[in-house]
Amino acid sequence: MNMIFILFAVLLGGALLTFFSNKVSGLLRDIFFLLTVLAAGVFFYLFIKKGDTVSFSLAGLNLQWGLNAFGWYFSLIVLGLSTLAAFYALAYMRGKERLGYFYFNFLVSILSMLGILMSRDLVSFFVFWEIMTWSSYFIVIYNGKNVQRNGINYIIFSTIGAYAMLTAIVLVYTNTDSLIISDMITSYPQFTPVLQIFVPILFLMAFSVKAAMMPLHVWAPDAYSNSPMAYSSVFSGALSKMGIYGMIIVFVTMISYLPDSTWFKEIFAWLGAITAIMGTLWAVSQDDARKLLAYSSIAQLGYIITGVAIGTELAMLSALFLAVLHGLFKGALFMAVGAIERQTGTVNFTEVTGLIRKMPWTFIASLLAIIALAGIPPLGGFVGKWMLYESLINSNHYILVIAIFFASTAAFLYCYKFLFGFFLGQEEKEWEHVKEAPALMVVPMMILAIGTVVLGTFPGIILKPADIAMQSLGYAPTEGHLWSMSVLFNEWGDQVLLKPLVYAIAGIFLFFLILLTVKGWKTMRYVTTKDISSSGEVPLEDENLTFSINFFQPFMRAAGPVMKKRMITYYREFGKAIDILFDFTRRIYNGNGQTYAIYVMIFLVILLLLKNNLFG
Amino acid sequence: MVGSPVLFIAVPLLAAFLIPLLGFVWKESVRILPGLVLLYLLILSVTLMGQVMQSGTIVEVIAGWSPPWGINLVFSPLTGFLTTLMILMGFIIWIYSYRFKNVDFHEAVKYFILLLLMITGSVGIVLTGDIFNQFVFIEITSISAYALTAFYKGRDSAEASFKYLMIGSLSSMFLLLAIVLIYSQLGTLNMADIALKAHLMKPEFKILALIFFLTGLGIEAEIFPLNGWAPDVYSQAPAPVAAAFSGIVVKAGVYAIIRVIFTLFDVSGTHQFLIIAGIITLIIAEMAAIKQERLKRMLAYSSIGQMGLVLVAFGIGTEEGIFAALFLMLNHAIIKPLLFLSGSYLVYHSKDKFINETDGMAKHIPLTSFLFALGAVAIVGMPPFAGFWSKWFVLSAAAHANMILVIALVLFVSIVELVYYFRVVNRIYFFPKRKEIEPKKPTINALIAMGMLGIFILVIGFYPDSVTGYLHSASHSLLEKGKYIQDVLSIGQSLTH
Amino acid sequence: MGEILQYTWGAIVSFVLAFFVGITYMGLSRIVTARVQNRIGPPWYQNFFDVFKLFSKDTSIHHGIMHHMGPAFMMVTAVMSLLIIPIFNGGSFFTNLNFHGDLIFLIYIMVFGPLGMALGAGQTGNPNSAIGVTRGLSQIVGFEIPWVMALVALMIQYKTTSIVDLMNIQAETGKWLMFTSPFAFIAAVLAMLGMFRYAPFDIVGAPQELASGPMSENGGKYLFVMMSSGAVFAFAKLTLYVDIFMGGANNLIILVVKTFILYMIPVLYGIVSPRYRTEQSVRFFWGWPTLFGLLAILQAAFL
Repeated sequence: MNMIFILFAVLLGGALLTFFSNKVSGLLRDIFFLLTVLAAGVFFYLFIKKGDTVSFSLAGLNLQWGLNAFGWYFSLIVLGLSTLAAFYALAYMRGKERLGYFYFNFLVSILSMLGILMSRDLVSFFVFWEIMTWSSYFIVIYNGKNVQRNGINYIIFSTIGAYAMLTAIVLVYTNTDSLIISDMITSYPQFTPVLQIFVPILFLMAFSVKAAMMPLHVWAPDAYSNSPMAYSSVFSGALSKMGIYGMIIVFVTMISYLPDSTWFKEIFAWLGAITAIMGTLWAVSQDDARKLLAYSSIAQLGYIITGVAIGTELAMLSALFLAVLHGLFKGALFMAVGAIERQTGTVNFTEVTGLIRKMPWTFIASLLAIIALAGIPPLGGFVGKWMLYESLINSNHYILVIAIFFASTAAFLYCYKFLFGFFLGQEEKEWEHVKEAPALMVVPMMILAIGTVVLGTFPGIILKPADIAMQSLGYAPTEGHLWSMSVLFNEWGDQVLLKPLVYAIAGIFLFFLILLTVKGWKTMRYVTTKDISSSGEVPLEDENLTFSINFFQPFMRAAGPVMKKRMITYYREFGKAIDILFDFTRRIYNGNGQTYAIYVMIFLVILLLLKNNLFG
Repeated sequence: MVGSPVLFIAVPLLAAFLIPLLGFVWKESVRILPGLVLLYLLILSVTLMGQVMQSGTIVEVIAGWSPPWGINLVFSPLTGFLTTLMILMGFIIWIYSYRFKNVDFHEAVKYFILLLLMITGSVGIVLTGDIFNQFVFIEITSISAYALTAFYKGRDSAEASFKYLMIGSLSSMFLLLAIVLIYSQLGTLNMADIALKAHLMKPEFKILALIFFLTGLGIEAEIFPLNGWAPDVYSQAPAPVAAAFSGIVVKAGVYAIIRVIFTLFDVSGTHQFLIIAGIITLIIAEMAAIKQERLKRMLAYSSIGQMGLVLVAFGIGTEEGIFAALFLMLNHAIIKPLLFLSGSYLVYHSKDKFINETDGMAKHIPLTSFLFALGAVAIVGMPPFAGFWSKWFVLSAAAHANMILVIALVLFVSIVELVYYFRVVNRIYFFPKRKEIEPKKPTINALIAMGMLGIFILVIGFYPDSVTGYLHSASHSLLEKGKYIQDVLSIGQSLTH
Repeated sequence: MGEILQYTWGAIVSFVLAFFVGITYMGLSRIVTARVQNRIGPPWYQNFFDVFKLFSKDTSIHHGIMHHMGPAFMMVTAVMSLLIIPIFNGGSFFTNLNFHGDLIFLIYIMVFGPLGMALGAGQTGNPNSAIGVTRGLSQIVGFEIPWVMALVALMIQYKTTSIVDLMNIQAETGKWLMFTSPFAFIAAVLAMLGMFRYAPFDIVGAPQELASGPMSENGGKYLFVMMSSGAVFAFAKLTLYVDIFMGGANNLIILVVKTFILYMIPVLYGIVSPRYRTEQSVRFFWGWPTLFGLLAILQAAFL
């Protein structure tokens, strides 16, 4: 029995056990769930080596599973995030309905992601891809809110993508007579020009849907925001990375071999940038934290897509680094929102304020994650952003870098909105009862947040496996000339030495913090947020001073023109047109037997008239 | 020799006549006997199938009249496979409807006789090697189907049955015309013999006969626009009957049309016709399905669409295409009955059977809802369930035959299909349940039947190799026209000598 | 250990220098403003008094930990940019952390403080602060675009992202970048108007209606740290402009002259300007300055 089979058996068996033990006892179910995730993680890192493969035949197709360094890198995101999210889920989901169902799909989607990463042939890849789609779909609709709209949107887009991929797979299969991915890659240069264009485009359609790239992102805001937050962190942090995973493979192994691949890469890089800009602008305008994070995820994935599409060593490195980092901070943020949702019952910025003193740990995790998201040094986000900018500048993408820069600057707005909306501002009586979330929820998000801090100083921890992953894709080693443990270089040789910078930042901050704290320590006192001077007057106790509605109104006014039309309206109009067509078609069956008899006669007459054209 | 193919016809016919007689002795026997018969036939067909896989086609001559003069039954890998499938479905439907009309003895007698006759007729269509005999079996099937459609004796079911009857009689007329044409030209009714001599026919007569066949059988196989009767029939007939229609009767119709096209005539252009007709059927049916407001009608249109896809796959004409088509038929035969059977419980409480009356049913009848969801996920071709493999093979066959447009259309339609199935699944699971309704809990035998179908879906999905061997030899045998002729006629020769 | 001491020493000396120059500039700008408005104005050392007064205030109230830390965040930005930006040409004196970071790092560390302070302002619960912050952040998104465009133009023209390299290039060719890359300079100066938040871009503080906006709940030591960080940061920014566009400075006098001239641009522009609404100012930065930035990039790319 091969180790890979055992891994999948463990996950599937665990999922089933979890599902069925739900009927027996909740505790048993939780134990099984946690054990399965942990067992899968431990098993994966202990027993499955890079380079392991296993071949087998199913339904007359030769299939192959295996693991390479590139897949291993992404499995890091998947398993790492899933494990933490699993712990988190235990607390977050407590007391909710259909937990067996939720945990089952949770585990199945982990299984499918690992399956995608370990598929060496196209059919398994597709199969796992679809399993991923439906398992995540079933979680998206778990909350039961607006299922017909959100769920169906998600499943339609995913399926359009998946079927595009299926078409590509079938085309490749007919042309190469092999389903093994490496065979496809080796024979790709010999494809006909038409196929050379269409195969990658079809594949990229599938991957862009999962990576929520414009204009295929329409499903994402609703899907991310409507799943239980325990899953959203995995959904946005790890599952969307499967799209990135596929994209990287397509770009590196196919697009680069196109005779003139530049325009192709440019288009995708720009799509990524536009995704980033629009995602950011829409995130700024959201009042629902889950929606905000959902749009922010779209935007962040846009950066990664741009990096992938540019495809230079530094760009790819930055994309891979950002992929991990996005998993870390977005995982933490979704968890934080989940914690707030659980403790207060709402996730709307206009409703809940001033939680900082009630939920300090959640705040710290969110703060760190937000700093990482905004790309501000000394946290990990900066490293990723820096590499992305430098790679764009080095590869002469002048306007693109401005676009990306615009997106990440505008991201400050929603970053601030997130922190201010939940944690800062007036502390209202309404929320006085709120307590910190249970440790099971706080610890995972703190771990993720601390991860971003560590990566800010020692990005080499992640860049090392990223480098190995890139080498398995055919890139030259980059350690030493583009990065070392805590130094970053660009392709012109300019550098950022992170350690002294981080220490300096920490030193200065501590110095002034101590100064501020020590000076006048005795006379310093805390006053409530009601005790302020508002235009020179002290406000009354019951005066509403919360500022949260139309938070960035002036900015939204400035950015308004580009946000007038939404992609979804175009899809809706298209949908309406199709619906009219469907309705017209339905009327063919009018329920009248005479009409049906006439149809039969018409059919006969047509056949008789066309018999010479049809049959010979 | 464990038994001969003739038992597939003789035993159930005999049983059908015995049922009312035995019913006087012991009422329960009315219910038990069909099951025993079907179980026996199932064992028989599986054994025969094993035999056929090893030693080749079994040709059974009835009453000593050798082909091409007498009636003969051909148990080839293809027909054997379909027979096994139909009998299996018949058996499962029997399990499901074991308690059907529990209180009304006379109704039950009627039901079981008709069901048995319908299954026999369908099996006969597949097994027979004689076109007139096939016509007779089609009539047997149709007449029992008309009666079963009108089983509830309501206004709507009577209307549906009447429509069916009307169109069905057109079908019979065209079939008869075609048979007459052939007989007048060739003087033979044996399929193998016709196939052998087809080139002797005048082309215009041949094509005319083909067109009459296509029209007549197209009605049975639900080709657009000949399928107007189908949605009404499916939605008005009792659930097990609808399941039997989609799992058994249509399969027989499709088989008949395929036999005509692949074996009987050597006319070119028939494959294109299959593809065009199939695609139009598929698209129109699926588009109509998405707009349906009643569950059973939706399933009916979906069933029509699936049959269109089967025709497309046959139309590709390569062995791979036929393999895919047979796989599709297999999957459809398993999944669609499951949907009809479980779906009928979802709307059992409702008079109008609207889809939006299934809201929150998962809370009332979880297992049935789960099976319906499983069927829905499987039929839209989500891996790792059964439907995926057939879809994969259809696409792969189409790609090998360079039919990119077919791929695109099939996939487009699949998305439509996905939407309307998932809409229902969402309703079942995620809409607030309606307090006032009192859904009927499925009986234990119904659950067993549906559970069996669910297990088939999973088994085929996870281990398609369990059926691909049979499918491969079946698809192989359809293409080997010469061997078919030889198999059938050599028996004749060996008998006459 | 020696290295750390050296850095610390360098940081202290540059800080003190920047503090004095920055506070003096503030005072001078008040005089200039007064003279233009036909007033006499306070003496140039008035701001030293102000700062000293704030520092010696005893009682101070705070609204929580973020509010308490806010000024320290601001100080990090001020001092870090001061350490990254070379103060003099040649680089043997006051090198500080010049070689440890590049322009992109600088761009990001420059928003570190404002964001940190914004968090502090947020915790005060004063709606005016939050309103000011939203305006300030919006404005940052406005002026960062031309600012970054100018820097990117320089980077691609001279194939470096290091400030020191840019200075060396000017020293080698003897030409200031403000003349070789005029569009970049114009874009950068227009962006500077926003950075210094004088009129017409002073809606962030808006003393009359927002009661100084983000600063409004700060007093005593908090306001002291904020004011001094503002002074230091102003000096650092001016030095940066001098470094990358005006050939840097070899000694203190040249530095002071060049920075003061630059400083007068936002001050004088501000005196004669009314105030923009937030969206107007954001649109302003996305208008002409961005166009100049675009021209700068085109020039860098194709000339």
